Amino acid sequence: MANYKPQFYPGKSKVSANRKKYLDPSYKLEKLRTVSDDDVVKLMGHRVPGEAYKSTHPPLAEMGEPACPIRELVEPTPGAKAGDRIRYIQFTDSVYFAPVPPYMRAWMGHTRYRGVDIGVLSGRVPLEARERDLEKIAKELVETEIFDPARSAMRGATVHGHSLRLDENGLMFDMLKRYIFDKKSGEVVYVKDQIGVPLDKPIAVGKPIKEDELRKRTSEFRCDGDAFRDDKELVSFIERLHMLRTEAGFDPNKVKGM
Amino acid sequence: MAKYADKVDLYDDRGRVFASKVPIEALSPLQNPAIQQIVSFVKQSVSVNLEGVQKALDTGEVGGKWCIIRGRSLKLDLVKDANSIADSMKKALQVSKDDDTEVKVLKGGKHLLVRVPAKRMNAGVEYTTGATSTAAALCCTIIDNCKVNIWDADLVHAAVWGRYPETMEMLGGNVSSLLSVPQQNEGMGYALRNVPAAHIALITKKNAMNAAALSSIMEQAAMFEMGDAIGPFERLHLLGLAYQGLNVNNLVYDITKENAKTGTLGDVVASTVKRAIADGVIKPIEKTASGFTPYTTDDLNKWNAYTAAGMLAGIMVTCGSCRSMQHTPSVFIYFNDLVERETGLPGCDFGRVAGTGVEMAFFSHSIYGGGNPAVFHGNHIVTRHSKGFTIPCVAAAVALDAGTTIYTPEKISGAVGEVLSEVPELREPLRFVNEAAVKIKGGV
Repeated sequence: MANYKPQFYPGKSKVSANRKKYLDPSYKLEKLRTVSDDDVVKLMGHRVPGEAYKSTHPPLAEMGEPACPIRELVEPTPGAKAGDRIRYIQFTDSVYFAPVPPYMRAWMGHTRYRGVDIGVLSGRVPLEARERDLEKIAKELVETEIFDPARSAMRGATVHGHSLRLDENGLMFDMLKRYIFDKKSGEVVYVKDQIGVPLDKPIAVGKPIKEDELRKRTSEFRCDGDAFRDDKELVSFIERLHMLRTEAGFDPNKVKGM
Repeated sequence: MAKYADKVDLYDDRGRVFASKVPIEALSPLQNPAIQQIVSFVKQSVSVNLEGVQKALDTGEVGGKWCIIRGRSLKLDLVKDANSIADSMKKALQVSKDDDTEVKVLKGGKHLLVRVPAKRMNAGVEYTTGATSTAAALCCTIIDNCKVNIWDADLVHAAVWGRYPETMEMLGGNVSSLLSVPQQNEGMGYALRNVPAAHIALITKKNAMNAAALSSIMEQAAMFEMGDAIGPFERLHLLGLAYQGLNVNNLVYDITKENAKTGTLGDVVASTVKRAIADGVIKPIEKTASGFTPYTTDDLNKWNAYTAAGMLAGIMVTCGSCRSMQHTPSVFIYFNDLVERETGLPGCDFGRVAGTGVEMAFFSHSIYGGGNPAVFHGNHIVTRHSKGFTIPCVAAAVALDAGTTIYTPEKISGAVGEVLSEVPELREPLRFVNEAAVKIKGGV
């Protein structure tokens, strides 16, 4: 089936198109800011920059592996090869036109990155991977268009309250005040790492994306933006899917050509 | 005359073809002699921790941790006498001289692998005969061989049976079966599903393909026992067992191989859809205004089997590349989410796997307690909702883990998995089921 090309997401709205774009790994996410490798490490708070990676088991080459055809076939990631610990980066996304809603983070993470464990909870999305693999992924997640310093945040703990309202600078509420708006530079500056431990030096993660630009880039449906119900194609797609699930549960043999 | 027209090619765990055009029913738990033997062995095989009995008698710590009866102790060298204990136990368990009773001494006498004869099992209606007759035979043997007097016999009982009958199961005992006591099964027919993934991974010596196969055999055989695989649903389960568990048409292996070096879970989804289109399982319907092409099918059972196989390949690639088991629920949810959004057709088990994944994610990531994937099984409150399609993936993921968990499969399984890996049919089920299918393929 040479003609088949993954299509990722249905729907005719701008939001659907954005979803499709972000899910497609052949689309290169636009880089909007630079955060140094060391700063990404500091923001996550799992190790000190320059410190050796701690391990959870010896390197695979040293420990030897059981005779398994899948282990022989599937190439381990660099972090797995080295026996790195599994660590996380966790994001919270505003309901106000953030670039990506929680589910998109999971879908996108699985289409773009290998060997990742992503979960979606009520207001937070952890992405877990071997530590050195995670650091590479985290850099892209923070530096590109899918992160807005004001409407997305790195929060390892005490994540909630973000959806209530934005402050006078357009930032999400954070009970631990991990970041502040620097009026001089116009940038958002992290003064604590994702867990809430104070940083030695503040880390700037760039200027908030302007409202009209955010509305263009967002993959969130909203009644006061692009409403889900207005995307008739997507609504009928979801309705058909749920109808098929239900009919199949009753008798899979009766679901033909639907 | 076969009920279903489906014919499949059989492959081994390394993607080598074994036989072609085998009727699907030759792989049915109702017909395949190897599957039936595996089910029998699961019932008949019992693990004895002789070293544990010796230690319990020595210290008076019987019936579980910290449960010490001060002043009670018996110094018996059971490990050293393992061979004579095995001989005596065999005599006690045998029904007739040449029956299938077996008592194997393992690890220098520290463990025994007991096979209780089928005749003894068949004389009762409960599978517990395996554990009860082994425990009783062991007690009698120790008392006889070691000349234990009437005043110490109770201690032997407690060292072997644990706190039973004060508890439902043999709590703190040293005789274990793969199967839990019936009272611990969540519903009718759940016995074969009540086996943690840790046991399966260790029995198959962490060969992910065999782990998936053994788990799938037990899960899908249970579907027949539970009343799920009958009438309009029988073929759904037969295809699920064949494509996901037994790697027919090399689907699992092929998709894994295609994405082995650099693939993501999203790539595995694409490979699965591509293969389903190429094999004519799904076909496009009219393009929508956005240019999206939804798919349809005339055979939802087969599409389900493809998603089940693709999802297992997703585990092989995701958990395999990270050499970690914890990604399992994430694969359950997002493989199915992505495949649904790619095709417009329902994901594996028509949404039940994705739902199971949501729950399992919470209970396997220290959010609401629980444990790592190695403790999960098809009888678990969190993972029993999918009808046999999730646990094979969990077992494969546990097999692929390089040691990322605090509670390792070895710690969770204890001696049971290791001891039962001595049974070839349980250790390499794919080979035995394939061989048996070829033998009976003309007769189904």
